[in-house]
Amino acid sequence: MNPIHQQTFLITGASGFLGSHIALRLLAGGHRVFMLVRSGKKESAFSRVRRLLDWFGVREDQLSGLEVLTGDLEQQGLGLEGRDAQLLAGGVDEVIHCASDTSFSVRKRERVERTNVRGLEHLLDVVQKNPCRAFHLMSTAYVAGRRCGLCPEDFVQAEGFHNVYEETKFRAEQIAARRCAQAGIILFVHRPSIVYGDAVTGKSLNFKALYYPIRMLHFFQRLYTKDILENDGSRARVMNVHLDPDGILHLPLRIASSDSCGLNLIPVDHFIRAFMAIRQESPEGGVFHIVNPRSTTIRQLAEYTQRFFQLGGICITHPEEFEKHPRNALELLFEDHIRFYGPYMQDARTFEHSKTSAILASQNIICPDFSYEIFETCMSYALAVDWGRFLHREQGRS
Amino acid sequence: MFSEEARKTAGQCRHYAMCKIDYLGTGLCSSGMENHYVSHFPQGRMDIYHALTRSQVPITQVLVEIADSCDLCGICDRQCHFVTGMRPLKVMKALKEHVREWQALGNQPLQVETDPGLEGLREVVGQKWATNDPAILVTYANDPFPLAEMRMPRYVALPGTREEVAALVRCAKALNLPYVVRGNGGSVFGFVFSDGLVMDMHRMKGIKIDAENWLALVEPGVTSFELQQEAVKHGLRANTAEPAATVCGNIVCTGLFSTWSNVYGVNADTFVDMEFVDSRGDFFRLNEPAAPNAFCFEHKLTPAPGICTLANVRLHPVTEDEEGLIVPFADFKEAADFARELGKRRIGLAVGVLGGHYLSTFMSPSADLADKVRSGLTEAFGMRYAVFIIGDRFARDAVMSIRETVIDEELFKMLMLGLPSLGDSEWLELVSDMDTDQPPYEILLRREMRPVLDAVLQPSPETASRAVDEDLRDFYIKLYSRPEMSEMVWLNMFRIISARMSRRKHMFAFLIYVPLDRVGIIEQICSELGRIADKHKIDNDFGFLTPLDLGKRGILEYDYYIDHQDPLEKEKISAALVEFEPYLDNLSATTKGVKWLKYIFSQGCARKEAFLYT
Repeated sequence: MNPIHQQTFLITGASGFLGSHIALRLLAGGHRVFMLVRSGKKESAFSRVRRLLDWFGVREDQLSGLEVLTGDLEQQGLGLEGRDAQLLAGGVDEVIHCASDTSFSVRKRERVERTNVRGLEHLLDVVQKNPCRAFHLMSTAYVAGRRCGLCPEDFVQAEGFHNVYEETKFRAEQIAARRCAQAGIILFVHRPSIVYGDAVTGKSLNFKALYYPIRMLHFFQRLYTKDILENDGSRARVMNVHLDPDGILHLPLRIASSDSCGLNLIPVDHFIRAFMAIRQESPEGGVFHIVNPRSTTIRQLAEYTQRFFQLGGICITHPEEFEKHPRNALELLFEDHIRFYGPYMQDARTFEHSKTSAILASQNIICPDFSYEIFETCMSYALAVDWGRFLHREQGRS
Repeated sequence: MFSEEARKTAGQCRHYAMCKIDYLGTGLCSSGMENHYVSHFPQGRMDIYHALTRSQVPITQVLVEIADSCDLCGICDRQCHFVTGMRPLKVMKALKEHVREWQALGNQPLQVETDPGLEGLREVVGQKWATNDPAILVTYANDPFPLAEMRMPRYVALPGTREEVAALVRCAKALNLPYVVRGNGGSVFGFVFSDGLVMDMHRMKGIKIDAENWLALVEPGVTSFELQQEAVKHGLRANTAEPAATVCGNIVCTGLFSTWSNVYGVNADTFVDMEFVDSRGDFFRLNEPAAPNAFCFEHKLTPAPGICTLANVRLHPVTEDEEGLIVPFADFKEAADFARELGKRRIGLAVGVLGGHYLSTFMSPSADLADKVRSGLTEAFGMRYAVFIIGDRFARDAVMSIRETVIDEELFKMLMLGLPSLGDSEWLELVSDMDTDQPPYEILLRREMRPVLDAVLQPSPETASRAVDEDLRDFYIKLYSRPEMSEMVWLNMFRIISARMSRRKHMFAFLIYVPLDRVGIIEQICSELGRIADKHKIDNDFGFLTPLDLGKRGILEYDYYIDHQDPLEKEKISAALVEFEPYLDNLSATTKGVKWLKYIFSQGCARKEAFLYT
């Protein structure tokens, strides 16, 4: 890249799923990137980044623009000291705020607010002292909360929220809009839907959201298969779990859902392409829905899961039908999870995306459908890294 | 040559005397039971070996006999491992080897000379039961309290009767010899030391049950465990302290308290009468009109009324439908309020609020597993506190009508025997990623979830024993096959797992009487003790909180954890002392309902009303 166009970025949440991908893409483009990273209990921020870069397979010569800043959004001044504080005082061109707590539960409200609201305010305090040209806020398509139907690709009025995550993201958008306007900073609000791993390689750093219920099924599959094959199978029998002669484990699990709605899933590689295109093509900023025009039904997801993991017995039941029969223990466990993800699994919301789609179309960027092949790729990777456990162990060693 | 590994283990002995009670049904160290001195039990041999490595004692003829008398049966390894995780057998072997090698070099053991003082004591108790041999004395010279310095007594005597106790007092008086009394030979808080005579009451183990009067007549060498065993034989129960602690010793010292104090009370509630020997060697009983008033309370450190030679301890009825319940909570105030509510409404017998640390440590047969389980229970399950209850079926129904999620005996057994699976990291990851408004325990501990929990935990004695060293697994499988070893009522009555609290480090416990209706004060005490400990980098945690007197008051334990062999830790606790002592002193003097147990020391016979409501 021509050095004249080299820019300096500050990325928060830079060791996270989206932040790390964005950082790598910008470094590959020859930019200077300040990654704001917390130090761990037993590990420096730099060491955490080093492990991450190893996972990405980044070569040393690609890292000339990288600066790791040890800091913490939860502290005033981002907890920066010494050289790190001086580096930031030198100013940056753009701030990409990816740090986020994605917990939904009320019992984690304080923690979620601390990151998603107060953390943003601390960041904006710093930005106000050292103004930048543009501020990118990673929000969520679900900031629309309880709204039904079409959600505009613009700032919206709140109509209540399904969880603390949606609520704090909404508040964050409001704060960012007000303060960026005051400071004359261009604001980009990026609203992705549910992000999963790379559609081509399956690689992912995050095994929650889409992955969690599938991982839970995989756990019980192994548990009951072992009980049947290595013990007397009595624990499986109690749950009406059995192993068919063709090796398919029958897990009696009804999931309440309807086919009229589904999950809006985008792969991380699409998200990154979209983010870069929006940044490049929309110099005036704005709100952007980075979503999949086509949702995936829970029935499709269940079929993929059964096919890939050699499972049977999972059946999608209309919510009214579901209520007619008592729940078994597995259903109780899933129901509790589903209660929280229900708004996303049975999503009646649709997302306006004309603005984003126009930009993506201009660069021939198309969001892939969540096909069985992509599912297979992603789950194969998840199994290879033991749902991230192997990944962390390997990273821990290096 | 000394073994470094054995030296380290020897130095870590907690002096809890658990090797002096047969709490696992393994039998006891035969040499200890024959000779009664601490020196002849594993605890004493640990001290002797540690003292030898520091050249603090010579090898005497008695020391040689002590080393020889150990038959390496391995009982101590099993007993000690159960509570501390330590394996003292290697110390027993190292002691024997060291003495043998020393003798093989042609060395002759020291013959310790007698003296007139010793002869006087021996006239009272007999030749065998008084000594000035340093090998024995050294086992009465230390305790794990970090601020206590080593203090060698001149003599140790083991009286066998009340008359001998009185005669020893008179003898000591005549010799101008200071003395202290140790119920079970040990000391853990740095108090029971003397340059003169230590009286060890281990030979006085008489217990008589007076069923018509609901009483046990207890001699001073009787431990809590032994009294409870005897009470249970008669279908009764006593309110007892730690299992290896002596009943009389505890009453005189701090009064008895436990989770059962919710209904059985504390201090003077525990006994009907006590017999003492005063400083002149005369007997008196507390119920005599002319006896010193030990039922009153003074807000200062005061001497004990004398040496207790007999206590008439109250016994309580037991019903066949008693069972244990654990009610989980995510929040301390909610848990404390619930415990108070139970006290106020007279629901349940034993009641206590426990932290995740206590619960996981009590349940886990190894320290590593306890750490995993603690993180699992508190972080993944969201069960930061639990209210522990023993009650009859009416109490059970009442508790279950108030709280939906309850761990009953069946679930407790499942958790305890499946604990290594509960600590499995994959399962815990799945649970901690459950993103729900309620803490995950609300779902996972529901009755309908038991088949799933059963599949995940695979509870069995074999599963539970996975947590211990391979060579101990057969022993643990047999142990956990006994129903009482995973039964809350039995475990709480005999308290055999409470000493596990000191498995990582010696525990420095703050015991404070508190107003249970003002939880804010309790939270403030915990917060301040936590702040002081954190400042000095001392491990610390909430211990337990038990309601007293219909929930009007409570007793709080907050714990600091100290490696008593680490000089740096000693410095830390010394520095912390300068802060916590005035804080608790001031609070005790100025806040109604707050009394630090420091002032109850030696006033354990006082009426609880005299210090709870003043």
